[in-house]
Amino acid sequence: MSGEESGTRTIAQPGNAAAGPAYRGGGAGARPRRGAGHWLSVVRTASGGVLRHKVQSVVIIAVLFISTASATLGLGLLSASNSPFDKAFAAQRGADAKVAADPARATTAQFAATGHLAGVTAFAGPFAQTTVQVDFQGQPWGPDTLVGRADPGGPVDDVDLSSGHWADGPGQIVLGGTSVGGGGPVLGSAMTVTGLHQPVTLTVVGFATSVTNTADGWVTPGEMSVLETAGAPPSIQLLYRFASAATQAQVQAGMASVSKALPAGAVTLWGSWLSAQQSEGSNAAIMEPFIVAFALIGLIMAVLIAGNVISGAVISQYQRIGVLKSIGLTPAQVVAVYLGRIGWPALVGCLAGMAGGYALSIPVLHQSAGAYGVGQQHVPLWALVLAPGGMLAITLLAALVPALRAGRLSAVTAIASGRAPGTGRGYAVHRLAAGLRLPRPVSLGLAAPFARPARTLVTLAAIAFGATAVIFAIGLHSSLDDARAAGGLTSTVPVLVEQDNNIGTGPSGVPSAAQFAAATSAITAQPATAHENAEYGDNVQVDGIAQGVQAQAFDGPSAWMGYALVTGHWYDAPGEVDVNTVFLTDSGLAVGDTTTLYVGSATTPVTVRIAGEIFYPSSEPRLFGSAQTLPGIATEANFWQWNVGLKPGASPSAYIQAVNARLGNSPFAATPPGGGQFYVIAIALIGLLSLMVAIAAGLGVLNTVLMTTRDRVHDIGIFKAIGMRPGQVMVMVTCWVVGPAVIAGAIAAPAAVLLNTATLHAMAATAHTAVPASFTNVFPVPALALLSLAALAIAVIGALLPAAWAARTRPATALRAE
Amino acid sequence: MSRQQQDASGSPDDLISLDGVTKAYQASAAPALADISMGVADGEVAAIMGPSGSGKSTLLNLIAGLDKPTSGTVTVAGQRIDALGESALARFRARHVGIIFQFFNLLDDLTVQDNVLLPAQLAGASRRRARARAGELLARLGIDGQRDQYPARLSGGQRQRVAIARALVNTPELLLADEPTGALDSATGQEIGRLLTELNAAGQTLVLVTHDPALATRYAARTIQIVDGRLADGLAQATGAGARA
Repeated sequence: MSGEESGTRTIAQPGNAAAGPAYRGGGAGARPRRGAGHWLSVVRTASGGVLRHKVQSVVIIAVLFISTASATLGLGLLSASNSPFDKAFAAQRGADAKVAADPARATTAQFAATGHLAGVTAFAGPFAQTTVQVDFQGQPWGPDTLVGRADPGGPVDDVDLSSGHWADGPGQIVLGGTSVGGGGPVLGSAMTVTGLHQPVTLTVVGFATSVTNTADGWVTPGEMSVLETAGAPPSIQLLYRFASAATQAQVQAGMASVSKALPAGAVTLWGSWLSAQQSEGSNAAIMEPFIVAFALIGLIMAVLIAGNVISGAVISQYQRIGVLKSIGLTPAQVVAVYLGRIGWPALVGCLAGMAGGYALSIPVLHQSAGAYGVGQQHVPLWALVLAPGGMLAITLLAALVPALRAGRLSAVTAIASGRAPGTGRGYAVHRLAAGLRLPRPVSLGLAAPFARPARTLVTLAAIAFGATAVIFAIGLHSSLDDARAAGGLTSTVPVLVEQDNNIGTGPSGVPSAAQFAAATSAITAQPATAHENAEYGDNVQVDGIAQGVQAQAFDGPSAWMGYALVTGHWYDAPGEVDVNTVFLTDSGLAVGDTTTLYVGSATTPVTVRIAGEIFYPSSEPRLFGSAQTLPGIATEANFWQWNVGLKPGASPSAYIQAVNARLGNSPFAATPPGGGQFYVIAIALIGLLSLMVAIAAGLGVLNTVLMTTRDRVHDIGIFKAIGMRPGQVMVMVTCWVVGPAVIAGAIAAPAAVLLNTATLHAMAATAHTAVPASFTNVFPVPALALLSLAALAIAVIGALLPAAWAARTRPATALRAE
Repeated sequence: MSRQQQDASGSPDDLISLDGVTKAYQASAAPALADISMGVADGEVAAIMGPSGSGKSTLLNLIAGLDKPTSGTVTVAGQRIDALGESALARFRARHVGIIFQFFNLLDDLTVQDNVLLPAQLAGASRRRARARAGELLARLGIDGQRDQYPARLSGGQRQRVAIARALVNTPELLLADEPTGALDSATGQEIGRLLTELNAAGQTLVLVTHDPALATRYAARTIQIVDGRLADGLAQATGAGARA
């Protein structure tokens, strides 16, 4: 019916006569809009308001920042722990064999010609090398092998400069390893070379790593003439890569052809890359389970929390989604609106997190590279793409699922779903809570989570993960500390007196009896000496074990050294020995069993009884006993070191200086025990990753409480209207998370204990050792109960901000909210 | 001096006294209330009337201490409530003010009894005394049989009775009702209206907000007209029912 037929008057609008069907609201001359542009403009308009929801956007950005940074760091660590030595060896063109040669026995041309032998694929050298005594800040830094090289690069042993610059002038030194800090040399430090005609001072200009540790430090070739020790035979270094070097036999074959090509006696010593691989590989193997455990916790946590936050952000908008549908948006447009609203802050968070994770990885991987002895490590490109890309994908998926659901719901159902939890949920718990003799805000708060069980479960899981990570970290810290102390005997044997030996194939020569006596005298003369013994090592044959067994014989009391026992006891009677786990595994024996040994070339067997299994990470079987029980081992040729224990309060560094001063030009030198760097790195990583996981958990709680506070803002207005004070509101809101936190703590404590035990056993298994029970029993019950409060702490801290907001909100403002 | 004349300055005996009260939500926009000065005597029934958006509910919120004025003073039961902090305001409301809302504002996850008990528990009343008082009110309002039910299962009239019981559990001097019959059918609305009249007859001071002139005429002794945030003609007007000089 036209307007005139119906009796109404149609008001003519200028210009619209030719416009076809009137387009309501389009104004004069408006044409209907169709197509993608219209679709997008509707979505753009409906998406407006991201900036109004600043808190929600900030939470999304913060959570994804932490999650993506954790993921980036975790993936970087996993990559770094995957065959780090092999990767670094290939990248740095590591030397299959490093050779010390006598330059007096062959010419430079002869040495260079060995680089063209069949089977030699790359050659570097000859480089002048010398072993000198180096002091730092007046204390012995140790005998160091210095090599003169004009630059770090080359066809073999491309040395990785991690800081500073290569030596390019007199008086400069590049030290091997990374700057250790903690009082050790740093860039610019002065190192003094002693034992020369006159001391020479070298300034540290850089730190560098050779993957096979070809030197302790590098100077310019011209510097070497100044550093040659009076009376010491000259030496040069040659480095080789062979076509075949996968096994010791192949390396030996390569070296045989080199030795044959040179005059007799030219090659004085050589070492294989396989020794370095084994040493670094065992470190990497020990680290890997720990890194994997933490990386997985970080990744799972990141996914869980990001998913919870994002899906919650969409679900909290159901009412708005319902309103949008009621005014005509299609399900597809609704999904697009919410992916857009979540997507932009998520993208910002993911990109920032990737950058943050990369920045965080620099010092972490710098330390792990030091532990692995492999120069520099970086987060690989694939991790920099996968971490943010994966987190963004998870975010969009977490948003897509509830958005699709909302898109399919009718407008009315979406509005109703968004307004309040389902009726009936939690009512029984509220009745129960009302009957408790607790302050009413507390009982109201404790009962509230039951109205939204799904959200409560996710919150509980987030808190549990965070608390588990914190408790696990504390436990693993204690366990690794025990393992470090036990493995290196650092606290009981703070000083070693050993012969200079910088190449791992054996000592450069056997000191004389007089030199042995002088060293013994230097030790016993020190007033700070509390205990000492001489340690000897040799291979023995053991019935039932095909390969030779490295046996250590102690001449002197040894129980004070404090080897950690897995089972049994330290030998304390003639005929008793202690062994490591691999020995028992290879031999099939157990503590208490007896076995027969054949020492050296002796044909008379020695029967021993296994008194105990000690904690000694090694892939080889080891055996420990007294020199009396293991006759024939304690000879000067088999000498390893003196182990020295000090009186309480004595300074190891002062003791070392005093002994070395007395030893003078002796082939022996006092040094602190080495190693343990892996433990330092692991302990530092524990703290960092735990903190990130705990923060992510706290953010997850904050988001949940924020969403719940906003859902219930009208109820909070009612509470305030009928007399609930701001402090009571804070208590009530905080109690929303207390219940789940207590449960989470009860779950986290035993989970962390199990995780700690499993991780430690996994680490020990890769290190081919069992662990003493004391290493895993690091959670006394009272301490564990206290630690489980970590869950409560995470929950309460996460809830504080939204609780304060709820307390501060004016009742009238809250009541106006729907 | 007539009540109308007293409103310009307020009476010292007023239970409620507003002096020069202005409420502005945004500095650049027109205030929701502008320079309101009025009083309500102890035991009086006053109706605040005006068109939608006139500021009636804002005025009620200020009297209840649910919001604070931008300027001016609000005195209730001898206390300058505009000067109180949020914690003190909450205590004040619990002890001196009962509020009845148009849409009841009951807590859906608490039973009728627990809804009624809540203000007493928040005010620190003893368990026994609070339960006794709640029981007395539920019986008096005829909803004792629904004490263990949840609000979702009640009719509108029953819910409003629960809301009234909750408002009265701490024996407040002042009862404020914002459109108490607005969500009810006319018969139920009249029931509630009669209930409020009975309360006033027993001495309860009552201020109710309504847009319904018939309700104001029937139950209020005095009508305060608000238009565009200001008192109409600057004065309150007496109504026929129970008007007091």
